[in-house]
Amino acid sequence: MEKDFWSKSIVGVVGGGSWGTVLAQLMSANCAEVRLWLRDEELARSINGTRVNSRYFPELLLDRKICAYSSFERFFDGGEINLLVWVLPSMVCRENARRIAPFLHGHELILHATKGIEVGSMKRVSEILVEEMPIRRVGVISGPNLAHEIARQVPAGTVVSSLFPEVRSAGRILLERDFFRVYEERDLIGVEWAGALKNILAIASGALDARGCGTSARSLLLTRGLAEMVRFGVRLGATEQAFLSLAGVGDMLATCSSSLSRNYVVGYQLAHGEKLDAVLQRLGRVAEGVTTAESVGSFARLQGIDMPITQSVCRLLEGRITVDEMIRQMRE
Amino acid sequence: MEHQSHPSIEFRHVPMVPGVLSDLEQLRPALLRDVAMRTRDDFHVDTPDLERVLSEALYNERYRLKHKKRLWLRPGADEILWKRVQNGLLKPAAEVDRAILLEQVIDHYAEEIGGHFDSRVYRVASRVTPVALSFLLNTGMKRLLPWKGIESLRDCIHIVGEVPLLQKLATRGTVLLVPTHQSNFDSLLIGYALHLMSLPPFAYGAGLNLFSNPLIGYFLRKLGSYTVDRQKQNAIYKQTLKNYSVRSLRAGIHSIFFPGGGRSRSGSVETRIKLGLLGTGLDAQLENMQRGHLDSRVYVVPMVMSYHFVLEASALIEDYLADVGKHRFLLEPDVGNQLLKILGFAWKVFSSRSAITVRVGRPLDIFGNFVDDDGTSIGPQGLRVDHARWLTTRGELRAEPERDAEYTRQLGGRLLERYYRENTAIASHLVAFVLFETLRKKYQDFDLFRFLRLRQDQRSLLRTEFMQAATHYHERLMQLVSQEQIRVAPELMTSDMERWVNYGVQQLGLFHEGGVVKMRDDVVTTTDLRLLYYYRNRLAGYGLSLLADQSPGSTDGKGFLV
Repeated sequence: MEKDFWSKSIVGVVGGGSWGTVLAQLMSANCAEVRLWLRDEELARSINGTRVNSRYFPELLLDRKICAYSSFERFFDGGEINLLVWVLPSMVCRENARRIAPFLHGHELILHATKGIEVGSMKRVSEILVEEMPIRRVGVISGPNLAHEIARQVPAGTVVSSLFPEVRSAGRILLERDFFRVYEERDLIGVEWAGALKNILAIASGALDARGCGTSARSLLLTRGLAEMVRFGVRLGATEQAFLSLAGVGDMLATCSSSLSRNYVVGYQLAHGEKLDAVLQRLGRVAEGVTTAESVGSFARLQGIDMPITQSVCRLLEGRITVDEMIRQMRE
Repeated sequence: MEHQSHPSIEFRHVPMVPGVLSDLEQLRPALLRDVAMRTRDDFHVDTPDLERVLSEALYNERYRLKHKKRLWLRPGADEILWKRVQNGLLKPAAEVDRAILLEQVIDHYAEEIGGHFDSRVYRVASRVTPVALSFLLNTGMKRLLPWKGIESLRDCIHIVGEVPLLQKLATRGTVLLVPTHQSNFDSLLIGYALHLMSLPPFAYGAGLNLFSNPLIGYFLRKLGSYTVDRQKQNAIYKQTLKNYSVRSLRAGIHSIFFPGGGRSRSGSVETRIKLGLLGTGLDAQLENMQRGHLDSRVYVVPMVMSYHFVLEASALIEDYLADVGKHRFLLEPDVGNQLLKILGFAWKVFSSRSAITVRVGRPLDIFGNFVDDDGTSIGPQGLRVDHARWLTTRGELRAEPERDAEYTRQLGGRLLERYYRENTAIASHLVAFVLFETLRKKYQDFDLFRFLRLRQDQRSLLRTEFMQAATHYHERLMQLVSQEQIRVAPELMTSDMERWVNYGVQQLGLFHEGGVVKMRDDVVTTTDLRLLYYYRNRLAGYGLSLLADQSPGSTDGKGFLV
């Protein structure tokens, strides 16, 4: 019955980047219509004309149920959207939530897939959405999901987490495919923090690999890094369990060992002597780990939470130490 | 600056404003029938499950009857019922229908929970209460003159905050008043404050222990109160109680209960909320909406009282310390002379005056959103919240227990936040805070329980040192006020430090034998560190203490409430 409801529903995806596009494609098999919002009007037109998101996935033919929009007025016009998937970088979450808020009715469920936090306030994305929009039923999609791999339909899985069971089950029903398994998890705080914190480790991991430190060093980094993540998360109200799930360890392993990961690339290129600004500019996309490291580092210092790896990454990003010094500090 | 009660409140006799509760006697039979039916439906399970539910209830009740203090006035009826249930369960289901046993248990509970309302008793109570209050609060010689009794309360009870909005909402929907709880005195005070606000009678979810006093029990029972027995932990009782609350809110009976459970043991503002009864607001509104009354609303209104003294403070803080301290907390023998205590108390009552602040907080909807003057829920960015949409799941307006429990959990969180913001800091609490924290700085290595055993000569500060600290904490408190983190009483809205400090010292724990703080010559000292901690705790949770970066209710590494 629940499946029936969602198979007749319209869902929306806010954010037409690589992961947003893949999520739209995944859901198109399980609902009546997917509306994809993206900022670039030209790209929206091109997607509707060619069924291809040429900027991120020239090789992926999008389902006919997917329609792209660049204006919120048109995105929300017509039949009502029952579920929104939010795939915007954390730094623009608040302003876009404010823009969308007047279009919402209150029955909408929202799942975000942003693995970052708000700089300064340290708020999780679900907190920002609830603060800015007249809805409460929010959740998160998080896991070891490299967009290009999922687009190729390789076997993979993710975690959908929310305090509201209906959000979890909606996420599972809409996203699940033969090759894509969806697990439900209640600990929203844990899943959101795990997704954000592992990006810091990915920067360190990229740097270690660039220095040719090998698998043993990476294992050391990841094991100690996981302990650091758990310490921090538990202090903020998360459970350990969330960090041991696919959204914790699983995501950490994928992000910290793949050259497809943006944060990994940042660390890798910094280790090759490049400046942070230049790396970010060349990347052209957001590397959430950079801003997350700054916020988490200063918060942990204030609260007396022991996070030596995060602190070393912070110093590296600030240009205060070299990669070799960071590696030395992490050993201490 | 609020020097006294809201202008809409006149301290004079107010005629009874009829409300739905006034007709309780007519409504009662149908209401109890409905409660019993609903509860039976909630346990609509097969026989083995029903047998398990009944057995669990029987086990809990027999344990309670054997080991717990008897609170209910008719323990005999309890015993007869449970004996009957036991005998019934021992026989095969074919012989004794489990559903009938369940029915008997539910009817017994429903009858115990359900209140009565007698307008004559209400009128008597509204005449007697001001006299009792004016004596208790020592309103001066005027109180001895019957026609001045109410008027004299003007200086002693300051009813402030969202009074007009509460009055308006009481006509627009059903009010669920959820006050903080410090003293047994709360119920009397709240009841009278509501009466002065010209509000119709409220049903009060009163702890069963209050009913065991024949006089208080009589009044409570005749004024629409329903009983809440926290000793009964079985599922059938909890569900019957919940259904009673839902049914009476649905009928439009304004209700009061203390969501923090019992009185605050530590003296701090509530740090936890019990969600069971709180959730009945949502259930009641949703049921009405499902019956086509889409604009039916239950408004959740916080209320926070501030007292310079709490009569039960010593017992409460001892309870708290014994609970958190376990073996580290040593009870001191009570060596006081009972007669001297009573005489001392009487002398203080007749020689001093004290004021209580009752603040009506900003009303919330069942989700924790603020409501505007028309009772409309306002969400982020001033956007209107559509209740029907928030309660829609898979395209249908329906009850979803887990969804609704999460909404209620969020309401509980919001309520806690509001309690802190609506709390009124008064001079005596600030004096307690200043002295406690400044002493503590001298013994930073001590944990709470070692600190509480400081010798008398270690409990003093030089007056200059105290005043310096008072200036500092006063400044920080005023910063919190400007950030709307807390409210402040008029006596603290001054730069005249001497004045508020002297007032605070004089008022602090006014009725405790031996006082709490003494200021003599150049020395400020405390005579009772536990009571000092109790009153100091009213300002805990605001980040004012030594270790100030944790959430309300948490303790630092040394066991002090932050």
